Amino acid sequence: MSATPNEIGQIVWRHRNVIDLDGWSKDELYFLLDQARHMENVMDRPIKKVPVLRGKMAVNLFFENSTRTRVSFELAEKMLSADVVNWSVSGSSQAKGETMRDTAWTLEAMGADIVVMRHGAVGAAQYLASKLKRAIVLNAGDGTHAHPTQALLDLYTAWKHIGILEGKKIALVGDILHSRVARSDIIGFKTVGCDVVLSGPPTMMPKEIDALGCKYEIDPRNAVKDADMVYLLRIQRERQQDGLFPSIDEYHRWWGADAELLSLAKPGALVMHPGPMNRGVEIASEVADGNQSVILEQVRSGVAIRMALLYLCAGGAR
Amino acid sequence: MAELREKARLMSSQDLNRVIRRIAHEIVEHNKGTDNMILVGIHRRGVYLARRIQKLIEEAESVKIPCGELDITLYRDDLTTLFEQPVVHSTRMPQDIAGKNVFLIDDVIYTGRTIRAALEALVDLGRPALVELAVIIDRGHRELPIHPDICGKKVPTSKNEVIEVRVAELDGKDEVVICERDA
Amino acid sequence: MGKILFKDFRVFDGRCFIEADHVLVENGVISEIGKDIACGDAEVVEGSKDKILSPGFIDLHAHMRDPGEEWNEDICSGSRAGAAGGFTTIVAMPNTKPAVSDASLVGYVAAKGSSSGGARILPAGCVSKNREGKEMAELLKMAEAGAVFFTDDGSPVAATMLLRLALLYLGKRQPRIMEHPEDSGLFKGGQVHEGRVSALSGLKGIPAASEEIDVARGISLVRDTGGRIHFTHISCSGALALIREAKKEGLDVTCDTTFHHLTLNENAVINSGYNSRYKVNPPLRSPEDQAALWEGLRDGTIDAIVTDHAPWHMDEKDEPFQEAPFGIASLECAAAVVIDFKNRNYPEFPLELLLSKMTSSPASILPEKWNGLGVIKEGAAADITVLDLERTRIVDCFAWRSKARCCPWEGIALTGWPIMTFLDGRKIWQDDEEI
Repeated sequence: MSATPNEIGQIVWRHRNVIDLDGWSKDELYFLLDQARHMENVMDRPIKKVPVLRGKMAVNLFFENSTRTRVSFELAEKMLSADVVNWSVSGSSQAKGETMRDTAWTLEAMGADIVVMRHGAVGAAQYLASKLKRAIVLNAGDGTHAHPTQALLDLYTAWKHIGILEGKKIALVGDILHSRVARSDIIGFKTVGCDVVLSGPPTMMPKEIDALGCKYEIDPRNAVKDADMVYLLRIQRERQQDGLFPSIDEYHRWWGADAELLSLAKPGALVMHPGPMNRGVEIASEVADGNQSVILEQVRSGVAIRMALLYLCAGGAR
Repeated sequence: MAELREKARLMSSQDLNRVIRRIAHEIVEHNKGTDNMILVGIHRRGVYLARRIQKLIEEAESVKIPCGELDITLYRDDLTTLFEQPVVHSTRMPQDIAGKNVFLIDDVIYTGRTIRAALEALVDLGRPALVELAVIIDRGHRELPIHPDICGKKVPTSKNEVIEVRVAELDGKDEVVICERDA
Repeated sequence: MGKILFKDFRVFDGRCFIEADHVLVENGVISEIGKDIACGDAEVVEGSKDKILSPGFIDLHAHMRDPGEEWNEDICSGSRAGAAGGFTTIVAMPNTKPAVSDASLVGYVAAKGSSSGGARILPAGCVSKNREGKEMAELLKMAEAGAVFFTDDGSPVAATMLLRLALLYLGKRQPRIMEHPEDSGLFKGGQVHEGRVSALSGLKGIPAASEEIDVARGISLVRDTGGRIHFTHISCSGALALIREAKKEGLDVTCDTTFHHLTLNENAVINSGYNSRYKVNPPLRSPEDQAALWEGLRDGTIDAIVTDHAPWHMDEKDEPFQEAPFGIASLECAAAVVIDFKNRNYPEFPLELLLSKMTSSPASILPEKWNGLGVIKEGAAADITVLDLERTRIVDCFAWRSKARCCPWEGIALTGWPIMTFLDGRKIWQDDEEI
């Protein structure tokens, strides 16, 4: 797939729905990052609006609570002048009685052009996309499977600081098994040519790590050594109740990122986290607030990346 | 995509550079001097032309006029009808344009829609005191009531022709050619 | 009753192809097998070299959802679906609502099953009362009422003590226990096989260890009690290896695998974009496990192929993968699926070995009363399926007699279909195009 513009400066952007980053080419990723940069400029203007999506309706369909991601998408949609509808569904569709199929058809009947969905079931975004005829689907997280926009904003943030990412090393530390962020980041960073190393308790690693194409270091010090980026994943308290690790304190002592662990990375290595942070669990405050942390910048990057994605996927005629 | 076939050369390198020089002087004349003005080139070729004009004015008047670049992609009124998305380029203003005399610079004016989008973009960036338009070629076929204040040359064309203003920085040489779309 | 002469077929007798090409059926029984039998006043069914006359297929494991969930399937629709798939005998699983764990419900299934106009439906009963896995159900009464297996299928027998007692109680002459091999703790919350697909997708994996542990438990208890057990829907190479060793040791252990585990593996889950029609328990395993199952057929470790027909109404099954119920419905296309797959992927695998695992071999696992099924032999019941190896048809769930409306092979063209089915000498189904 070519992501180079043709002679009149137009790109053939082949993605309508964005479900996961599987199969995206390196060219496509870098192209998107480049476009996101220009979108970030819009965020700095006195009038933070461009008419790209004027007349289009975006529905933020969130089955799982998430204020941060939803607000990020909402800002991106509004900056592009789309009409925004927020639809929060608490509980599964079965609990509510309405099937996802019916929800999908209701949305189209209402005139939705773009559906941003977060759902607790793996495969939910793909399922929704298969049921919609006209509207496009952007996956804001489907169970433990994928969170493509998070990975894209992570790539964008890293690229802004480091430049070309080929050959750079990124250590992903935490609960890889249950993390959709990890799965998407692994695909994204590998596609641009990074060396991706995983670390965390063995009970929180998928059994067949080979399938992910990464190395696993049980000792995070080996994973973080000479890394250009250290990415910490959120540890959910429920996992401790499931018996996957015995206590928060033990997790923090062995796998938490503190200044000592960070000192093993390359000087100036970026510290990243998808948020919200559990201070004192996967990340110590000294690191979260330190000058290597780009965690707040990731948040800003999120709006820019989502704007670029919306422009490319939904901006034109279909 | 139809093939473009070069039909004739309208301006040689010498011709084009003379026109650019004249436009630079006309801009200073319209502005009644070099105060409170800003040049804004429209991506892509307008940006290179604006920089050249900036240099020429500096040579003539010993003043470096601030020069910005404007990408109008996100303001186009035809986005929803395109199947391929135009690439977005950067928009950079060296100063706040509020209260300034903005001289928009583009290579060719055709339907006028690019300039309409540029005006909308400018207004979102600030409130200029006045906006004037300078182009190298006016090829006719306007669809909106928009006209250049300063024009290099008026060239009547048919709808299946294309005028290319080529600049050395991008195309390797300076010239203006007229091309025809093969059916 | 009528006389039917099957003329000029390749005749498969349940174990191998035989020299004869004519079979005469009289009064519901096979009366003569040979070459050139005179037709007299018999109705003639013409064969050809591509048409095989086989004993009717026997499915030891299918869900009829009746009593209790008849919108998904009932004994009549299931029986007719089976007939359309070439099956003449089907064992109905007892995990219904209420569960079939007493003689009266066994009687209900047996009665409805013998008058439904399609395949013969034989009832199975639960091992435990109400399938709760705690107390033994009235196994002898249920056997007397017609139960041919005891199983808590849907789950393993929960209490090991109960399994042991049941094995002792039943000994070697009563219907077998059919164990659904799974470790409930390891299974809990699982969606797919724990391996490549669960790593990539984030879906919770069900480790192979779950099946192996329960198979090991069952084998140990058989050794301990001298009883006999049948493991159903074996999907992992590890479990198969344990059963192979147990058989070598002389323990009375039998097993089956499903048509879908032989013909699909976990890659289908990702390749289909997490379509719920590939969600099944036990899950589709790795390609290596799939190959091991064919090896298990070849070397006799596997005794039967079953459908584990799990019909769901479209409203229930058409959900995102993680929310959909487990189960693949396949009665009407299972035979074609496996024959087509074998021809494409294992052309040297003997067709007669494959067919024997659908006929005489499963019959031998049923109680003595039914051991004579699954063969074409003079004096045997005339349960006959005509198989057309050249027939190509596209799977169309919407034309099914089953109430299920989705399956993994929807829209796919398969070659090698049953075209006629006879039960006790009566035609219970015929492919429309044959008329």
